[in-house]
Amino acid sequence: MDSIIPLAYILIFPGFLFLAVYGLYLQWVDRKLCAVMQNRMGPPWVQPYADFIKLLAKEVIVPDASTNKTMFRVLPFFAMAAVITALVSIPVWGPAAMYSFQGDLVVAIYLLTIPTVTFFLAGWSSASPYSTVGSMRVLTQLFAYEVPLMLALIGPAILAGSWNMSEISAFFSANPRFIPAQLLGFLAALIALQGKLERMPFDIPHAKNEIVGGQFTEYSGRLYGFFLLAVDMELVVGAALVNAVFLGGTLGLSGWAGTGMFLAKTLFITFLLALLKVLMARIRIEQMVNFCWKYLAPVAMAQVAFDIFLKYKLG
Amino acid sequence: MSEFQTEEKVKAGLEAKFPGAVTNALVQRKNRVWLDAAAEKLPEILAWMKAGGFNHLATVTGFDEGENLGAYYHMTDTKMIVTLKVKTPRANPVIPSVLAVFPGAVSYEKELEDMLGIKIQGLPAGRRYPLAEDFPVGQYPLRKDWKTEDYLAQQASLKTESK
Amino acid sequence: MSKITIPLGPQHPALKEPENFMLVLEGEQISGATVNLGYNHRGMEKAAESRTYIQNLYLIERVCGICSHSHTTTYITNVEELAKAEVPQRALAIRTLFAELERVHSHLLWLGVAGYEMGFETLFMYTWRDREQVLDCLEMLSGNRVHYSINTLGGVRRDITAELKAEVLKRIKFLEERTQYYIKLATQEPTVLARTSNVGKLPYDVAIERGAVGPTARASGVARDVRKDEPYLIYGQLDFKLITHDTNDVFGRLVVRALELVESYKMINQILNHLPEGPIAIKIPMKIAAGEAVNHYEAPRGEDIHYLKSNNTDKPERLKVRAPTLANLQSVAYMMEGGWLADVPLVIAAIDPCMSCTDRAAVWNPKKGKTEVYSWEDMRKLGIEHYKRRGVDFGRL
Repeated sequence: MDSIIPLAYILIFPGFLFLAVYGLYLQWVDRKLCAVMQNRMGPPWVQPYADFIKLLAKEVIVPDASTNKTMFRVLPFFAMAAVITALVSIPVWGPAAMYSFQGDLVVAIYLLTIPTVTFFLAGWSSASPYSTVGSMRVLTQLFAYEVPLMLALIGPAILAGSWNMSEISAFFSANPRFIPAQLLGFLAALIALQGKLERMPFDIPHAKNEIVGGQFTEYSGRLYGFFLLAVDMELVVGAALVNAVFLGGTLGLSGWAGTGMFLAKTLFITFLLALLKVLMARIRIEQMVNFCWKYLAPVAMAQVAFDIFLKYKLG
Repeated sequence: MSEFQTEEKVKAGLEAKFPGAVTNALVQRKNRVWLDAAAEKLPEILAWMKAGGFNHLATVTGFDEGENLGAYYHMTDTKMIVTLKVKTPRANPVIPSVLAVFPGAVSYEKELEDMLGIKIQGLPAGRRYPLAEDFPVGQYPLRKDWKTEDYLAQQASLKTESK
Repeated sequence: MSKITIPLGPQHPALKEPENFMLVLEGEQISGATVNLGYNHRGMEKAAESRTYIQNLYLIERVCGICSHSHTTTYITNVEELAKAEVPQRALAIRTLFAELERVHSHLLWLGVAGYEMGFETLFMYTWRDREQVLDCLEMLSGNRVHYSINTLGGVRRDITAELKAEVLKRIKFLEERTQYYIKLATQEPTVLARTSNVGKLPYDVAIERGAVGPTARASGVARDVRKDEPYLIYGQLDFKLITHDTNDVFGRLVVRALELVESYKMINQILNHLPEGPIAIKIPMKIAAGEAVNHYEAPRGEDIHYLKSNNTDKPERLKVRAPTLANLQSVAYMMEGGWLADVPLVIAAIDPCMSCTDRAAVWNPKKGKTEVYSWEDMRKLGIEHYKRRGVDFGRL
C-alpha cells in the first residue's frame, strides 16, 4: 500500500492525469476568455480535448534532414516529464506539498526551465530555417525573462525566510497582510511567466506571421500533441507556483476546500494572463530583451529590496 | 486649341527638344497628350521629361499591331498623362530599357519580354514574370496570332475531365 | 555570423496571395531581399480581347476581390469616353458613393490585417467586426457584399431610395465613432507604436524613384492622389482633404489610412445629402468606334490605371490593367532591407497587397479516383440539391 499512494500522487492527482485534464481545461478557459474579450464566440469546452485526441491519431513525420532523430522523438516527453516533476513540490490541495524540502523553490524553477531548453533543441534538431530562427529566439527570450522571474520569486522567499514553497505559502497564509505588499513582484512574475509560456505579446519564437510554426514547424501528430500538452501543463504549474509563492497557496485550507481554492486561484491567474494576451501587440525580440532587462528586472529588484526592508523592520 | 494651354506647352516643348524623334503629337483632351517616339531615343526622352516634373511612369502597355510590336509609356506628373508610343518591327523587336531613369519599371519591362517577346536592351536577366517558369519558351500570349485554344490543345496535362 | 535564407511564400501564414520573398538573414536582421511574382497570373488581358464590353465588365470586376469597384469604374470610364457617352450626374454620384464605401471597407480590412501581422489579434477582431457595418451598407445598396456589380455601361444598376440613405447614414455614424477610437488606439497604444515607428522606412526620394502610389506614397510625404489631381466622377464637387504624413514608416501609413477613413465618411455624408436627381443610366451602343483612352483612378491602395483601345467592334482590341500593388511592390524590397525579420509581414502588409480570386473549384472524388472540375452550372445544381435536402427549394426561384 505504501508504494501505491505516491504512485497515485504522480500518475493521477495532482500528477499526470490531473495536470493533463486541468491543463487542457485552462487552455479552453484562456481561449474562451480571449474570445469574449475580442468580441468572438470562442470554442466549446471539449475543443482542446478533441484537438489533443485528434493529434494523437495523426501520422508522425520526422524530417529526413533532422540532425538527431532519436532526440526529435524523445523531446516532447522530456518536456512533459519535467513539468510534472516540478509540480511534485508545489502545494496543491493543502498547505503542504507532496514532497517538500528546503530549496524546492529553486528546484522547481530549474525544472520549469527544462521545457524551454527542449523547445530550443526541438527547433534545432528539426533543421528547417523556420525552426532554426525559432529556436534562436527561444534561447534569446530565455535569457531575457529568466532573471526577472527568479528575482521576483526571491522576494517572498526572503520575507518568509525559507526556500521551501510549502513554508512560504504557510507564512503568507498566516500573515495575509503581507500579500498586498508583494504586488510589484507578483506583476513582474506574471509578465515573466507570460514570456516563459511564450504567449502574446511574447510569442516571438513561434510568431506565425514571420516564421510559420517557429520551433515546432516540423512537428506533427502525436509528438506535436504532447508538446502542446506540455505547454498547457506548464501553464498550470506556472500558475500554481505563482499562487504558492505570492498568494499564500490554499490559505491554510485543505482537502476539497483546499483543492477548490487552488482551482479558483489558478483560474484567476489564467484570467490575468489572458488579459495580458489580449491587450497587446506582439513585440520584436530585441524590444522584448530591452523591456525585460530595463524595466522588468529593476522592478523585481525593487521588490526584493522592499522585502529585505520589511524583514529588517519585523526583526 | 487655346483651352489646353498646358498640354500644348508640353507637346511643343517635347517637339522642340527632340526634333525628328517625337512625331504625331496630339492633344486628345484635357490632361491627355499622345505622341510617337523613336525607340532609340526613349530613355533620353523619359529622362528629360522626368527632370521636367513627369516623375511617375504609371505603366507600360505592350501592343501588337501586326507588322509592328511596341509599347505605350504612360508618363504622368499626377495630373496630365503623356503617352509615348514606341514601335519596333515584329521581325526584330527591340526597345532600350528605361531602368536607369525609372528603377520601378522592372516588372513592366519584364512583362513586355514575357507577354509580347519584345527584347528589352539592358534589362538584367532573372526569374520570369508574369508567366510561370515552365511556360513554353518562344510563345508570347499577348501577340494577336497566339490563340488560347491552340495552347490548350498542346498542353495535354491541362485537360481536365469534366463532370 | 552565418547567413540563413528564408523563403516567405508562395504559401505562408502572413500572405493572403501567392507571392514569394527570399530573405537573407543575418541573425534576426535582413541583409537582402528579392521579390518574385506571377504565381497568380490569369491572363485576363488576353481574355478581355475575346469578350464583349459588357462581359468584360464582370471579368474586370474579378481582377481583385477588394477593389472590385475601382477596376470596373476605371474600365467603364474608358469605355464611356470612347463611346462619347454623357453619363447622368446621379449615376456618377452613386459610383462615387460606392468608391468611398469601398475605401472604408478596404481600409478597415487593412487595419485588421496590420493588427494581425503585428500580433495584435484584438485589433484584428474589432476592426473586422466593425467592417461588417460597411459591408451591410454595400449589400443593402447593391445586393452583394464584395462584388457589388453596381456599374453598368452608361450608368449604374440600382438607385438609392430615401430609406436606404437613412440606413447607410446610421451605420456611417456608428463607424465614425469607432474610427475615432482606432485613431486613438493606433497613436497611443505603446506596443503598436513600438512595432510601427521607424519600421519599413521609405524616404520621399525613393518613393518617387520607385513609383510608389496611394497611401504608401502619401505616408512618405508625396502628395499624390488622383481624386485631387485629376478629379473624376464627382470628386471635383466634394470637400475633402488630401492626407499626407511625413514619418515615412508603417506608422505613417497607419495614420494616413485612419485619417482617410474620416475623410471618406465626410464624403459619403456629402454625396448622400446632395444626391442629384435624374436617370441613373443611359444606353450605350454595343459597337464602339475605334479609338484609345487611358484613365486613372484612386483605388483604396493607390493609383489604378487602365488603357483601352477599341476597333469598331463589340470587343476591345487591347486592355491593359495596372493595379496599385504592382507599383508598390517595387518599394517593398527597399523597405525590408536592413530591417528585422519580425517586421517583414508588417512591411509587406503596409502596402496592402491585393488578393485575387479564382472562379472555379476542383473537387477530388476518392470513389472515382479522379479530379472533377465543376462548371458554374454544376455548382449551381449542387447548391440547389444541397438545400433541397434541407427543405429549401431554390430551384423554383
